[in-house]
Amino acid sequence: MTRERLPPPAGSRIDRAQPVTFEFEGRRYDAYTGDTIASALAASDVWCLSRSFKLHRPRGSFGFAGDEAGGLVQLETEPNVHADTRIIEPGMRVRAQNTVGGLDKDWAALLGLFERFLPVGFYYKAFYKPRGVWNWWEKIIRRTAGLGQVDRSWTPEYFDKAYAYCDVAVIGGGAAGLAAAAACGAQGLDVLVVEREPELGGWLTYGRLDPGDGTLDDLRGRVQGLPSVRVMTSATCTGWYAENWLAVSQGNRLHKVRAKAVIACTGGVSQPAVFRNNDLPGIVSASAAQRLIRHYGVRPGLRAAVLTAGDEGYAAALDLAENGTDVAAVVDCRLNGLTGPMASEAEARGHRILSGHTVREAWRDSQRLQIGGVLVTRVTGPGACAADGERIDCDLLVVAAGVAPAGGLLAQAGARFRPSGRGAVPRLASLPDHAFAAGVVAGAATVAQALAQGEQAAGAAAADLSGSAADALVNSARPDADESGATWPVFPHPHGHEFVDLDEDVTVREIEDALAEGYEDIELLKRYSTVGMGPSQGRLSAIATAAVTATVRGTSAAEVGATTNRPPTSPTRFGLFAGRGFQPVRRTPMHGWHVGAGAQMMTAGLWMRPAYYGPPDERADAIADEVLAVRRAVGLIDVSTLGGFEIRGPDAVEFLERAYTPSFRRLRVGRTRYALLTEEQGVVVDDGVAARLGPDHYYVTASTSGAEQLYPLLLWYQAQWQLDVDIADVTSAYGAINIAGPKARRVLERLGTNIDLSPEACPYLAARTGTLAGVDVRLLRIGFVGELGYEIHPPASQSLGLWEALIDAGREFGIRPFGVEAQRVLRLEKGHVIVTQDTDGLTHPHEVDLGWALGRRKPFFVGKRSIEILRAKGLARQLVGYAVPDRHAPVPEEGHLVVRDGEITGRVTSSAWSPVLDQAIGLAYVAPDQTDVGSTVTIKAARGRLVEAEVARLPFYDPDNVRQAV
Amino acid sequence: MISPRSPIDDAVRAAGGTFGQHAGVDAVIDFGDPKGEIVAARRLGLADLSPLPRVGFRGPGAREWLAARGVDLPDEPNRASVQPDGVIAVTRSWTEVLVLGAIQSADTLCARLESDAADAHRARAYPLPRFDGLFWFALAGASAADCLAKVCGVDLRELAFPPGSVAQTSLARLNAVIVRVDLGETPVFHLLGDSASAEYAWTSLLDAMQEFGGRPLGLRALHALDREFK
Repeated sequence: MTRERLPPPAGSRIDRAQPVTFEFEGRRYDAYTGDTIASALAASDVWCLSRSFKLHRPRGSFGFAGDEAGGLVQLETEPNVHADTRIIEPGMRVRAQNTVGGLDKDWAALLGLFERFLPVGFYYKAFYKPRGVWNWWEKIIRRTAGLGQVDRSWTPEYFDKAYAYCDVAVIGGGAAGLAAAAACGAQGLDVLVVEREPELGGWLTYGRLDPGDGTLDDLRGRVQGLPSVRVMTSATCTGWYAENWLAVSQGNRLHKVRAKAVIACTGGVSQPAVFRNNDLPGIVSASAAQRLIRHYGVRPGLRAAVLTAGDEGYAAALDLAENGTDVAAVVDCRLNGLTGPMASEAEARGHRILSGHTVREAWRDSQRLQIGGVLVTRVTGPGACAADGERIDCDLLVVAAGVAPAGGLLAQAGARFRPSGRGAVPRLASLPDHAFAAGVVAGAATVAQALAQGEQAAGAAAADLSGSAADALVNSARPDADESGATWPVFPHPHGHEFVDLDEDVTVREIEDALAEGYEDIELLKRYSTVGMGPSQGRLSAIATAAVTATVRGTSAAEVGATTNRPPTSPTRFGLFAGRGFQPVRRTPMHGWHVGAGAQMMTAGLWMRPAYYGPPDERADAIADEVLAVRRAVGLIDVSTLGGFEIRGPDAVEFLERAYTPSFRRLRVGRTRYALLTEEQGVVVDDGVAARLGPDHYYVTASTSGAEQLYPLLLWYQAQWQLDVDIADVTSAYGAINIAGPKARRVLERLGTNIDLSPEACPYLAARTGTLAGVDVRLLRIGFVGELGYEIHPPASQSLGLWEALIDAGREFGIRPFGVEAQRVLRLEKGHVIVTQDTDGLTHPHEVDLGWALGRRKPFFVGKRSIEILRAKGLARQLVGYAVPDRHAPVPEEGHLVVRDGEITGRVTSSAWSPVLDQAIGLAYVAPDQTDVGSTVTIKAARGRLVEAEVARLPFYDPDNVRQAV
Repeated sequence: MISPRSPIDDAVRAAGGTFGQHAGVDAVIDFGDPKGEIVAARRLGLADLSPLPRVGFRGPGAREWLAARGVDLPDEPNRASVQPDGVIAVTRSWTEVLVLGAIQSADTLCARLESDAADAHRARAYPLPRFDGLFWFALAGASAADCLAKVCGVDLRELAFPPGSVAQTSLARLNAVIVRVDLGETPVFHLLGDSASAEYAWTSLLDAMQEFGGRPLGLRALHALDREFK
């Protein structure tokens, strides 16, 4: 039933003029714009939001601050949404999580009957015998213990990332954060304030302040008036990495913030008390009750009890009473009497105060999934209370066990906290460089202290940025402020269900059992019991765990220590980590033409290249036709993806002599030479062609796949050798077109060129510069495919125009474009290796018959010594050509094994059906004693079929290399 | 005659670019809404300047050779200086200079420098074919730095990256040179990167510009920014 909202000024975040409706578990509810899912449900007296992880107990939000698993709900397309922080959208459809059959009647709650068979660490001890049983259990466990459901029909949302910079990042826009930001901004520092709530102010927006207190307005005004202060609201800092790199998520964007200094003003986390059934919906923290009142105008209960261990509980009791809740009693579990102004005020106003008492247990309302009352008994000693006492019926229990510093981020950055004071509450003990802290996280107990600390931290940060020594630790405001003499409110019960960790259903008994089993180290205890491993990451359980552990071990909480804090501090959607994918692609100038001509494109590194032209179902015919066009008429392939390097300067030839295996000293201007590159171990890493364009000017090409790695390698060599040479990567500056076939020369002549293309003037392996169709080009007469061919290198900006002109000019000669697949066949017919396809990470030149490309008389080239050693050791394998005589045998594929007597002796590296030779041909590594031409090797082809192949002399096609030299 | 084409020629044509002659160069003058583009340019707009001339020189003699031809060079690497005719000289290192043709007027400097390539080579100021090797975009407008923060890890805000600054960095994971030289009072970032990835960069930037209401610009809008100031 919807309760009347409280009148303004309560409800500062809702817009009463804009009502909205939404659904929860199939029922419609009213809300206002600005409500969270949980606040709107609380306004309708619905407190149970989900079922617990292990025992399927009814759960709601304790802190109303987006921490615990109890507040997680399922939206249509998003699981694990914090109902207590997600703002309602009209028509939103919300479901409870982790139920079997619905929130009200969750069949999985029957698990509670078998609770004693599910002791701590049970999953380490079960489900693994007999072998294979886990496959059966896994489905059940995932269904019952999982969190939300992923919507598999989901459409990806747009996520992205952005960088941000500042002198000072202030994490947390509460009193301390605003004071720090204002002080830094006043000094002209570039400040970024990160606040996870939708508005600045923190506690000042919901805490109990004197009417007319202008602190909040003053702070907001000061910050907003400073141009150098930027404010991000609804933004959560989830990680604080090395050198003040902060991860801040805001909506669908992850901000990557670089700050010179960081002031952490992350506040505190209201802690639950530990007693039987402390997990019931309707048990909330004092700050949660105040948020509901002041932010959302929700009266949290009709009849409340308050359990407190400090002044915070009294403030909440006063607020509740003033807003129409009947406060049955304030139960103060401290033994040394009342302290603090709120306690005094409550006493003066006649509130019923039960000092030295605690809540021993709570019980469930008989009709609804929420609290129905509490048993209040006298505290008899640390962690002990009487069995009998007063039963108080109530629909709300407000708990103020204490506030823990929200120190997760600081701890990630390297700050140290040490338990001190009452129970096991950690206090900031040290800070890393360029990190500062202020406010509750640094120990402040009052607004005045927080403001003072904020200004001190700002001063320290400013001094740090100016290079002065700064007193980073300014948390001396309240050395003993929380020393009340009481131990942490943990009251074990003979019947259990006093939860230390609400996320993971871990009870006092389970912590004790884990310790009894020997898991005394806090890190091991965490992993074995799962305490602190839920969405709140121990923020609501670490202190109680330390307290229980210290009691069992008879030591102090300081001795127990704390677990490591790791990012992210709060659950973060994968989309934020992924962001907008940036995957650069490279396209040749002719890319659009290829696509328009029906090319099937394939990736080659970052490049896209035409594989063949035609529909996929005509692939084989298309490739064969392209091959035959080159062999019989003329073909054209876009090879712009080849790497291109200018090597220029007085030492250019010396550089090539050292970096590449062949000798270039005698290469004349206007000639090209094969350029093989090996690394220091003698392994073949790339090949290309070097053209000498001038006395100290070489233009060297590289393979498509190797070019990107080759350029830094060449620069690395130059950094060591310090030669007088310049190496420039001009890969993208030049397009490259290989025109090949018996009619290639005629096409170029038809197009018009000032280069004499006659065989005498421009013989095989010549390099020329000149114009073709009016375009300045470099022209290399080389023959990768074994026909008369020219590799034309025009400027990239004119490459498409030249390509189109070549197609036009070649039409009467039957020209057709060919793709990478046809080129592979053509080069295989010529027996040319492709580095990285026919070589691997161990191949040295002699294994692939490239010994001829080694400048043996050179004193040095990279890899020379290794190659000599490898050769002296003898070959372990050799690449040979093979042909399959049986034209009906299956065509072997790359990777198929060469076998002999059941042993593997090699593998196929290249294979194709040659339309010219009309048989399957290929290259394969074989044992050194299998290389005789005419001998037979056996290849284990698809489905284990053995194919007999004959070792062939290379090249398969035009063995005298007549065609490419015409 | 085969004319040079921008590496994003297809993309700007598909986006409705109107081509025209600008200082002897065929370039996109506008995208059909000259007035709207001028307004957008103050906020956020992206222009393809790839058709404009540019050339690089690198080597131990590069600075001296360029200085002898009247090019006023910054005194240190990663700075840009604007010549009186609007040509921008960018020092990429102590031994490398990138010369960007003027946006505002017909520029002949790049052509003159390129015609002396053989002489430059002899002086060990090796010419670099930047016209073909690098795309050149201009991202203009008050939101340009915020937009670039989505694709680049360098702080490009005014206080850290004032006019004349140069960064050689990564732009949407693409190696790029970013040069800040404003037009009038409007911030302008000149973005140069691998011409083979120009379409990728153009698309990535337009995507990043969406939330700021950014749009493609023709040269006319950039000229207007420049004239406003004068």
